Amino acid sequence: MKKTTITLLAALSLTSTLSFADYPTKDIQGMIQWGAGGSTDTVMRSIAPHVEKELGADLILTNKTGGVGAIATKYVNAKKADGYTLLMGAENPQMYKILGLSNIDYSDMIAINVLARGTPIIVANNDAPFNTMQEFIDYTKANPGKVKIGSTGKGGLTSIVLAMLDSQVKLDYISIPYNGDGPALTAVQGGAIDVMPAVLGATIEQIKAGRMKAISLVDVKANKLLPNVAPITDALPGMKSYLPWGPFFGVFVKKGTPDDAVEKLQAAFQKAAFNPDFVDLMQKRGFTIMNISGEEANYFLEAYRSTSSWLVHDAGFSKFSPEKFGIRKP
Amino acid sequence: MSSHPPLVQTRKPGESSFCFLLVMGSLYLFWQAYKISGFSELSSPGAFPLAASATMVLASCIVFINTLKRPAAEGVRFVYHCFPPIVATIMALILIYSVVLESLGFILSSFAFLFITIQFLYRRSVLTTLSITLLALVVVYTVFRLVFQVVLPEGIVPEREILSSIKSLWR
Amino acid sequence: MDALHYFAMSWLSPELLALTALGTFLGIYVGAIPGLSVTMAVSILISFTFSWDVNYALCLMVGVYMGGVYGGSRTAILLNIPGAPSAIATALDGYPLAKKGLAGEAIGLSTVMSVVGGFVGIIVLAIAAPPISEFAITFQPRDYMLLGILGIMLVGSLSGSSLARGIFAGALGLLIGTVGLDPMTAEERFTFGVVELWDGINPVAVMIGMFGISEALHQLHHMNKAVVKQKISRIIPKWSDVKKYMPLSLQTSFIGVIVGALPGTGGDIAALMAYDHAKRVTKNPKVPFGEGAKEGLIAPEAANNAAVGGAYIPMLTLGIPGDAVTAVFIGALFIHGLNPGPLLLIEQPHMFWFTVGNLTLANIFVLIFGLTGIRLFSKIVECPKGVLIPLIFLLSIVGAYAINNAITDIWWMLAFGVFGYFMRLYGFPVGPVILGVILSSLTDENWRRAILTERGSVSDLFINMLQSPLSAVLFSVIVLILVSKTPIWKKVFKPKIKS
Repeated sequence: MKKTTITLLAALSLTSTLSFADYPTKDIQGMIQWGAGGSTDTVMRSIAPHVEKELGADLILTNKTGGVGAIATKYVNAKKADGYTLLMGAENPQMYKILGLSNIDYSDMIAINVLARGTPIIVANNDAPFNTMQEFIDYTKANPGKVKIGSTGKGGLTSIVLAMLDSQVKLDYISIPYNGDGPALTAVQGGAIDVMPAVLGATIEQIKAGRMKAISLVDVKANKLLPNVAPITDALPGMKSYLPWGPFFGVFVKKGTPDDAVEKLQAAFQKAAFNPDFVDLMQKRGFTIMNISGEEANYFLEAYRSTSSWLVHDAGFSKFSPEKFGIRKP
Repeated sequence: MSSHPPLVQTRKPGESSFCFLLVMGSLYLFWQAYKISGFSELSSPGAFPLAASATMVLASCIVFINTLKRPAAEGVRFVYHCFPPIVATIMALILIYSVVLESLGFILSSFAFLFITIQFLYRRSVLTTLSITLLALVVVYTVFRLVFQVVLPEGIVPEREILSSIKSLWR
Repeated sequence: MDALHYFAMSWLSPELLALTALGTFLGIYVGAIPGLSVTMAVSILISFTFSWDVNYALCLMVGVYMGGVYGGSRTAILLNIPGAPSAIATALDGYPLAKKGLAGEAIGLSTVMSVVGGFVGIIVLAIAAPPISEFAITFQPRDYMLLGILGIMLVGSLSGSSLARGIFAGALGLLIGTVGLDPMTAEERFTFGVVELWDGINPVAVMIGMFGISEALHQLHHMNKAVVKQKISRIIPKWSDVKKYMPLSLQTSFIGVIVGALPGTGGDIAALMAYDHAKRVTKNPKVPFGEGAKEGLIAPEAANNAAVGGAYIPMLTLGIPGDAVTAVFIGALFIHGLNPGPLLLIEQPHMFWFTVGNLTLANIFVLIFGLTGIRLFSKIVECPKGVLIPLIFLLSIVGAYAINNAITDIWWMLAFGVFGYFMRLYGFPVGPVILGVILSSLTDENWRRAILTERGSVSDLFINMLQSPLSAVLFSVIVLILVSKTPIWKKVFKPKIKS
């Protein structure tokens, strides 16, 4: 009995490896870099059903957290390059090399789709004695070492926005690190910190409800969700060279995946990201839909990596110089 | 813990060495904690680990000294009362199981593990063991892999192919 | 009247009623199986219910949440493997009861008290959500730090006869909790250059190892001892018992709601604090704590179910999750096109009372499903050891793997299992280890935030602590507990048993 099962199994595995033309022949596993309930998780879970419909196969989504996403990245790259294991991640891997977290970033993988981009925004506690970027800068200069700014660890959105700011104007403030932007934004409301740079989508509902105030949008032009908030370039025109810049969400596979599988995945994700439900969802949260793949995606990823890497390097908290990895200066 | 008789004033065999190992381990962890950021700021990443490991060193020293003061228990043998062969055997089996789990896959390694341990501990007919093993395996696989989509290590069994071919038959 | 209409929505629609029942039933099993977490189950349900109407999806998920928090007590009582960290305290007195053949009674009592706790949580959510959420977000880092210290002091309650051994175990737990990349500075702590350690050691892996594996290994000593026959004549607890324990259960429920409503703490910490509270207010327990005191079973069960209602408080009013599960609920609402946030209740006024009604319904189902099928469950303990022990090992290994799909978690689980075996053998309590792991990051991070806020000045920290009413109260509670306990220092050097 055992023998026949083994032969059956062998036959099955053989047919499936031979019939790549029919990709996908089995469930596809999607490894999400961040935990359940986070924004990466939410975006991936809302696009997955549309992709399943396009591919005609099940996507099994698994959260594999840790090491700012490096553990999931490593896991996907340790699997077979057969298109059955996807990495669903955010922008973090682009900083791995210079922060010494991993020697794999998105340039070592194939981009299936860069789905959307977020816009950073600087918010403040309602009682903070400033309402605009200029007032914030003036107040912080007049009261050195008084303003408490929340942050979310090196290489995260907050640290890069603060590095941008630092390149324009030297401010003396207290930096209080939080474990993710959720807890930090709660701390803004409770008054434990005064100011926090975060992604627009995470703050929009709170701003609309008047529970915190928007100081400045880290972009070159105002956003239609918050038309009254001035872009940061009004107060600091020098920021133009970095912007628009923002965290993004993307889907990737290991290098060496058969072209057929890559093409099918790219087509499926592209169609899914055009789904009106998905587009509507993303826009409501202030995300800009990108839906790019191939050359276009590579260009975007490279631009992100070079801006952020050099910013972080110049701000002095990189472990290695971007030059070491051939990351060109922006 | 409650599952054990309250501490008697005697010392079990191996107890003093265990406590000594704890002291040594705590000292090592203290050294590791020191290496994180030394005695720098109170807000440094190493401050809390330093405090915790210092407490460990202190507490383990007290325990060690107290243990030495006690008389050794009489008529208690380490191999018989503390670490009997059956515990060692089962520990070894679990170790082997978890080593081969990834390469052999969940289904095969768990089948072998369950079959051997149940046979070893329960000592009934091979058929009884086999049916218990299969039943348990089917339940665990259904709950974890099929209902909760935990992709268990596949190893050499091409599970996903089999599942999708079963699904296509059903469609 | 609108409120009543929304409240009854899930009661009157047969589909919604059935989905809530199904969710609760599934939740009890999810909660009972270590390694399968409610967070994970609700995440899967998001994809599963993607195309459904949002109310249908919510009914199923709320059921899973309510059932799951309750279900953790099942395996804690029967096998000494808590299904989730919030059931750790339940195992301390629940398992000894099962060993005495009282598993049925223990499950019955824990079910009733879980439901009481659940209702307290729901009632507080219904009548006082806005003020409590405003209060909860004013907790400053120093307040969380004080809460963490308050929690660490529970080591005293969990230590058994030797306080020094308990303190060692607690400090070890705190240290285990710091392993990994420091979430604040990304500094490596105790990682020895291993990438797999960056995310730290999962508390659930430690828990399964220390409780499940080490207990199963100890059971091997007594292979030839006959299994305890379970008395299953009494399952529904005596009315006099319920009445007697009601004050305690209400007190711990309130602890549960408040701790659950704080965005930085959840049901696990609530349950442990409740256990400690029970131990402090029960002057003469019939059975000593740790050997099957019913008070020690009731308190954590009431508290962790009350924490469910608590966790919803900041989520529904402010869009701030009260725990990991409500964070996933926020994601689910977003995917279904609602805007979870402070405006949710204005834009979707039905959501609040619909959820309250639904939670109430799920809580009733917990009572129904909880009290039926106990006989069958109690039989698990009567299963021959030769079969049960291998199954516990299998379940522990699969459970550890399921936490994060990582083989490394299995290794940790086994290592702590073996270490826990020797710890128990030589009279070290394992409860404080888990306590330490759970409280480690809370205390560490908030201590550092608090001291950073004061630019490194400890004296400023103290001055501000005493000036803020909330911090001052927490600080005095800590001092009071320290003083009211028999001087610890004496106990440390005199590790002798009293009885």
